[in-house]
Amino acid sequence: MDNLIARFADNIFWLGRYMERAENVARILDINETYARENEEGPDWQRVLVLYADTDAFLARYAVIDAASVVAFYINDRDNPSSIVSVIFQARENARSVRHLISTEMWTHLNISHNRMLELTPRALQLGNLSRLCSEIKESCQTFEGIAEGTFLRGERWCFYQMGKYIERADQTTRILDMGFARAGEDLGAAMEAVHWNVLLRSVAGYHAYRSRHPAGSRPRDIAIFLLYDREFPRAVGLCVERLSTRLIELETLHGHRRHDSVEAARRALVFALDTGPGGEITRQRLHKFLDELQILLGGVSSAIATTYFSGR
Amino acid sequence: MSNDGAITGYDPGEFYCEIFGRSGRRRPSHTRPIRDRLAELAIAQLRARARGAENELFNLGITFTVYTDRKSIDRILPFDVIPRVLSPRDWEIIESGVKQRVAALNLFLYDIYHDEKILKDGVVPKELVLGNANYRPEMCGFDPPKGTYVHICGTDIVRNEKGKFQVLEDNARTPSGVSYVIENRHLMMRAFPDLAEGMNIADIDDYGRQLAAALSAVAPAGIGSPTVVLMSPGAFNSAYFEHVFLAREMGVPLVEGRDLVVENHHVFMRTTHGLAPVHVIYRRINDDFLDPRAFRSDSMLGVAGLFEAYLKGNVTLANAVGTGVADDKAVYAYMPRIIEYYLDQEPILANVPTNICRESAGLQKTLDHLDELVTKPVGEAGGYGVVVGPSASKRTLSELRAKLKADPANFISQPVISLSVCPTLVARAVEPRHVDLRPFAVTGESTWVLPGGLTRVALRRGSLVVNSSQGGGSKDTWVIG
Repeated sequence: MDNLIARFADNIFWLGRYMERAENVARILDINETYARENEEGPDWQRVLVLYADTDAFLARYAVIDAASVVAFYINDRDNPSSIVSVIFQARENARSVRHLISTEMWTHLNISHNRMLELTPRALQLGNLSRLCSEIKESCQTFEGIAEGTFLRGERWCFYQMGKYIERADQTTRILDMGFARAGEDLGAAMEAVHWNVLLRSVAGYHAYRSRHPAGSRPRDIAIFLLYDREFPRAVGLCVERLSTRLIELETLHGHRRHDSVEAARRALVFALDTGPGGEITRQRLHKFLDELQILLGGVSSAIATTYFSGR
Repeated sequence: MSNDGAITGYDPGEFYCEIFGRSGRRRPSHTRPIRDRLAELAIAQLRARARGAENELFNLGITFTVYTDRKSIDRILPFDVIPRVLSPRDWEIIESGVKQRVAALNLFLYDIYHDEKILKDGVVPKELVLGNANYRPEMCGFDPPKGTYVHICGTDIVRNEKGKFQVLEDNARTPSGVSYVIENRHLMMRAFPDLAEGMNIADIDDYGRQLAAALSAVAPAGIGSPTVVLMSPGAFNSAYFEHVFLAREMGVPLVEGRDLVVENHHVFMRTTHGLAPVHVIYRRINDDFLDPRAFRSDSMLGVAGLFEAYLKGNVTLANAVGTGVADDKAVYAYMPRIIEYYLDQEPILANVPTNICRESAGLQKTLDHLDELVTKPVGEAGGYGVVVGPSASKRTLSELRAKLKADPANFISQPVISLSVCPTLVARAVEPRHVDLRPFAVTGESTWVLPGGLTRVALRRGSLVVNSSQGGGSKDTWVIG
């Protein structure tokens, strides 16, 4: 047994969540910038605010919803807790608390990423540079993930780190999917420009994976099913939930934990909802409702884990 | 040798230099390789490599942290790339002197919390100990495992112009800085492996293992494999980096007060599995804050019931409670006598000569030479009320004279000490800067001293203040084997 202090398990779980979150916020900004470029009616940055339910928080501090403000709000606004700089800062604060439990290389990389975010100039945030910046942030998060994979001890701590990561990734995939569909018209059968769906798939690095399943065409329904249920695509919600379940089982089989009813109940509710699906033919409304439900159930698993493992009793 | 080498024109003046030795004498042979290598290096090369080391420190997050409301601002503890080098003979003196001092401190603490022999014999004034703010009457009659009170000790040592070591103060509570010793070495070996080549430098990587072994050795009796933890005030503490570092080096859990709980006079930590027993706590938190039930009731950092569990012998605290009385300025003045009293030995490391003003000879000497001496009130911490004679105004001196006469027992005085210097890289040159040394001693059943210690350097020209908060930096410290 690790003798892992409960509070540190919590920090590690959130370290996993925050790093995954930073990567996905970068993905979403990037995809939105691409949409904005493709869209002749002009960019629509409000969608990002809606996606993260941030409209009120944004309008409390900015007068108009325009590209520059939304980008600033999500990248380097330290007063916005969901900005990338805040999320990386939180990740670093969590890492600082568990500095003795993570590898030096993980800590060093996080420090470099954090310092880099603090150095961002207004120029780097200009729309023309946004895609490059988002790529850089995304790659920095991926590097961290790679370092963790290669250096982080495979004890209980690894389970909590991975659970945080998979819960966050599943949650973010539901949001990206939701945004993609929100942009399409109500009638999903209508010919939506292929480029729209390609951008969506590319934003989650799923374009080629999807193509290998569906060589021709981009049917919205197929894309939804792909991002929700594909058995091999690492950002698919189902696969994340499956990995999450595996880690929970490992806590019992490898790390001496007993099964906890509350966590198991929350996990089963999530798996059940996922297996059941949106119910009937996929429409924009129905999918939106379903994705909302998944987000709530993922939150349920997250809080059950917190109550069970992070309270120290 | 080329003329534009990094140490061309270096002049330590009348001070003892850690690399060039005593003014006007032959240069010490043990520093020859490093003198030669510095002479071959151009200043620009030295600069470039120092910059590399600084970047690495920043990326490693080896920083002092100053928090404002929501941002954390990190400041690098400045690191100087030119090491301080101690000869085998230097080290022999320091190591044996520190061991002797730690032994005396432990015997003194045992005595004042038991039979008070040294007080009854009149060697140390009773009121100085019993009336001391850091004296803990609750500790009377308590027997810490192995009789050890001071498990971790940091002894601040300076070197006068003749090269003689003198103890400036003992740190017997929660001395910090050892993490910088080890990180500085790692950094040095990455930035300047060639500088160290063939020098046979004593290894310092063993600190974590030695510390863990010492702490296990003082676990409550009957515990087979004790659980040791490091207790920190938390991530906002300026030394948190060191707490993390030590927990890692020892491979033990790092905890805060909120992670611990006392049930039935036993201490437990909150783990993902629930409560797990704890046997030894290396606490980096002051006595006052340890236990709101026993000491300051407003402490948010402590654990209710911890002190009682300690007195019942169910958990060991390192350092013990109440060691602050031994590293007090007033008691410091008596250390040579304390060493002689318990060990029947001459002190190996001298004190800075100290006049004890509660004694008439000491008072007279102080009053006669007020403008030459440094006079310190004994009750104050952190340099408050210290009067440096040579730079004080007439008015300050006459006020001091009145205070001394009114309450002589509250003062000690010392000559102005001359700290040794070490070549240090400043803006565009290598110049002498004053240094001190803090070796770290670890005591379980016996005492082990980490070879070298923390060399702090006053980066401002002429400054004697080596504290990190006031423009101090640090250097790697080499003990030649």
